[in-house]
Amino acid sequence: MGDILFRVQSLSKYYQMGEVTVKALEDVSFEVEKGEFIVILGPSGSGKSTLLNIIGGMDTPTRGSVVFNGEKITNFTDKELTMYRRYKIGFVFQFYNLIATLTARENVELVAEITRSTADIDEIMEAVGLYDRMDHFPSQMSGGEQQRVAIARAVAKNPQILLCDEPTGALDFETGINILKVLKDVNVKYKNTVMVITHNSPIAQMADRVIKMRSGTITEIIKNESPLAPERIVW
Amino acid sequence: MKKLNLRLFRMIKKTKGQYVAVLSIIITGIFIFTAVSNSAVNLRNTLDDYYDATNFADIFVTAAALPERLERELEGHDNIRQADVRLALDAKLITGDEDERVNVRAVSVDSKENKINELFVKKGRRTIKEKEIMVIDQFALARELDVGDEIDLNIRGRKFRFNISAIVSSPEYVYLMENEQTLLPDYEKFGVVFIEEEYLRRISGSGLFNEVVIRVNNQDDLDETKDYLEEYLKRYGVMRVIDRDEQLSNSMLNEEIRGLETVSRSIPVLFLIFAGIMLSVMLSRIIKKDRTSIGVLKAVGFLDGELITHYLKYAATVGILGGLLGAISGTLASGAMTRMYLEFFNIPMLTVQVYYERLFVSVILSTIFCLLSGFWGIRAILRINPAESMRPETPKQGKKIILEDFKLFWNKLTFSWRMVFRNIFREKKKFLLIGAAASISCSLMIMTMWMSETMDVIYVGHYSEFMKMDYNVGFKGFKDEGVLNEIKKYINYEHMEGRVELPFEIENGRHSKIVNVIGLEKNTRFYDFRDKKGNKLSVPAEGILISSNLAKVLKASEGDRIFLKSFIPGREGEYVTVKGVIEQSLGINGYMNIDYINKKFLDKGIINGVFISSDDKIKAKLVNINEIMSTQSREDMQNIFEEFTGLIVAFMGAMVIFSGMLGFVILYAMTLMSINERTLEFSSLRVMGFTKIEIFKMLIKENSVMSVIGILAGIPLGKLLVEYVGLTFNTDIYTFHGSVSTKNIFIAIILTIIFIISAQLMTYVKINRLDFMQALKSRIT
Repeated sequence: MGDILFRVQSLSKYYQMGEVTVKALEDVSFEVEKGEFIVILGPSGSGKSTLLNIIGGMDTPTRGSVVFNGEKITNFTDKELTMYRRYKIGFVFQFYNLIATLTARENVELVAEITRSTADIDEIMEAVGLYDRMDHFPSQMSGGEQQRVAIARAVAKNPQILLCDEPTGALDFETGINILKVLKDVNVKYKNTVMVITHNSPIAQMADRVIKMRSGTITEIIKNESPLAPERIVW
Repeated sequence: MKKLNLRLFRMIKKTKGQYVAVLSIIITGIFIFTAVSNSAVNLRNTLDDYYDATNFADIFVTAAALPERLERELEGHDNIRQADVRLALDAKLITGDEDERVNVRAVSVDSKENKINELFVKKGRRTIKEKEIMVIDQFALARELDVGDEIDLNIRGRKFRFNISAIVSSPEYVYLMENEQTLLPDYEKFGVVFIEEEYLRRISGSGLFNEVVIRVNNQDDLDETKDYLEEYLKRYGVMRVIDRDEQLSNSMLNEEIRGLETVSRSIPVLFLIFAGIMLSVMLSRIIKKDRTSIGVLKAVGFLDGELITHYLKYAATVGILGGLLGAISGTLASGAMTRMYLEFFNIPMLTVQVYYERLFVSVILSTIFCLLSGFWGIRAILRINPAESMRPETPKQGKKIILEDFKLFWNKLTFSWRMVFRNIFREKKKFLLIGAAASISCSLMIMTMWMSETMDVIYVGHYSEFMKMDYNVGFKGFKDEGVLNEIKKYINYEHMEGRVELPFEIENGRHSKIVNVIGLEKNTRFYDFRDKKGNKLSVPAEGILISSNLAKVLKASEGDRIFLKSFIPGREGEYVTVKGVIEQSLGINGYMNIDYINKKFLDKGIINGVFISSDDKIKAKLVNINEIMSTQSREDMQNIFEEFTGLIVAFMGAMVIFSGMLGFVILYAMTLMSINERTLEFSSLRVMGFTKIEIFKMLIKENSVMSVIGILAGIPLGKLLVEYVGLTFNTDIYTFHGSVSTKNIFIAIILTIIFIISAQLMTYVKINRLDFMQALKSRIT
């Protein structure tokens, strides 16, 4: 067994919706090793985004804890959580969420600036296949290109884990596959831990481990002995 | 450049219409503040410098007869540094026109230099000999007199010819008026001339002097010194002891400077408040639009403080840029404005300075103001949760608007009007701001219209309704009522009444004021006295009627006993009862029964002037009656008044532009904001088949509803403003009262509508240029 990057212990998250208590997460526990490619698979409303938000330091649990590299982030203050997100986490969102008024390169440089990262932006842009499109604004790019920028942006700060929320959700099949390839390349090349959450089950085939969720609980954790290359996935 | 700063720069570029709009309001506010307040400071400094250079007197004394040795006697007093006796006489300029009466004040001067109130030579030389004369510049300019010209003066009934040796300015006659009652300067009809002392004494037959001007050592002891002089000079028939603050020209200038200071404090605040609200609304909308971006930035590790700073930089640039541009342009304009004032007042010196500390303060103030307003607009950043911001915002719960409860009204509305009202209620803050802008614009316009008309109303009201005489004739000194019979021989008239006009220092406790009190016949036909409620008052048999501005200065009301200190030598003061407070638009006066004033302060049957109503051209007919000092007709006053409304018209023009600009800019910026925010909505409408014009009409309808409401609210607001201005800007000369006419309200509304329509038309360019299809395609943050 490799080094543990983080440990999720008995994590629960409840929301109060009027008089009804919604259990978004209920007693969830698992561990993630450094360098792993994890897919969290589940239908809509299964709690996977809530889980990702808590792991990413964007939300706090009702109960339970997340220990990251030996530090209990669930006890962090707001500022500590921000610093955690700044230096340790890279996010990739379903709708890319790029800053519209900055070019592709500037979007990447923005995070490099705050993390004082020394990453080579040109190299990263090349790695995501956007070297020639660096000076375009998001509105001048296709969805797939925008998502590559989002990945480059996440990678540029050299995070310890890349959290990807439905990264192919808004893309067509071919573009989706390309994005998955980029994520896999990043995982291999930069040794980043990658956690992808998706409702699209074929994507699970490329993961080292798959965590299946339903109704806020983990139903199954599957170790994939022979992950598929992204280009071989079909949906 | 840091990427967040780059984003800021592009954000400003993208919202340039709104940015420039709010910037222009800040610039205007700071511009008015700097231009007007600097002008006030420049004017004050110039005056101080001028007074210093000319050794302007601290105390002015008028007496019956003063010996030359008095200078030495007075200079022995602890607080009297210098004293200079002089002779001042009223004389007449002899012109070719028999119908014209031009009064001049002939003042004696030392042959080389005055100790006090030295003259400033504009042309010619200061040394003066017999038969030479120096003429004050305003008068020389108006009468086209120049060095080397000869003029004839009638001094004490004899004609003397003088050669003009110099054109000069005097610190004592910067604001050149004959006396307090003249109300406005008339450079053609009144001037001041300076004649060598010995010569003037000789030709006027005056062995003694009648005025002494004094400089003191310590200003703090000024009142004690004045008291001392009044007591000490009793033996010389002291009539009047006034200090520099009360000196006519200086007090008029101070009034003007105070007016500038009031403007510099009030109008810019209004502009800054609107800019602040606008900036706050603009930034809050930007934050709302940037919700997801902010969430992303928080998610990638930006701190709340960093993001707040990022958006505050937007506000700070407005503050710094607006403050700088406003302060610099204001400073430049203040130079020109000061020059204009100095030219207007004929002040021969110019002290225009760049007040770096004021520039700095303007920038700091405007920046702090923008930062505070900006923070108010962006404080919602703190509440944005990164995880939630990634999800589409929950649509606001749809609910009925209050208008829908009024079924009769609502059911009659077409679909598009219902949409208009729903949008207004959905964006309350924005539409309230549009309404407020229309309201303020309209109220400022009302105030401007009122001010320009009120000057006319003041004049017509005063000279047609309050005073009804056609001519006001002043005598040289006091005469027996028999002089009226002589006048009657020369002219055709309808009615004639003798009058007494005397200056008094009126005291009520520690409040005092020097004013002219007019003695009138009991049933005078020449005055229509009304109290505040419009009730008619008649001249009381005993006691005094006082004008409302005098009542305010003295803090006196009906029934109070006030003390009238006479300037007639040998006459003590008397207590009289205030029998009523009357409304008077022009001037500050008291009115008494002529018999009562004579009994108390003069002798029976004595008058020093006469009021006449006549269609006859009496000026020419009276010109040869030697007892007559001045004859002023209603037309004379009308002409002077019209000359002086030029400056007011310029001020009004600027006010109309500023108030219209305020409405224009706010409406323009808010509409642009609406277009930017609702691009998607408008795009959907375009897809459904709406034309650009139809969408534009929808926007116009929304803005029009609020503008109409704003304009309607602007009417009472304008009336309140008028009342405030009336109270604030009242001076000894003008008393603003009277209501706003329907015509003025109508003009104000039309002007406001013109500015609003212009702003709307400007926004059409934006609608026309919007690429609706592109907006639908790219749904990125």
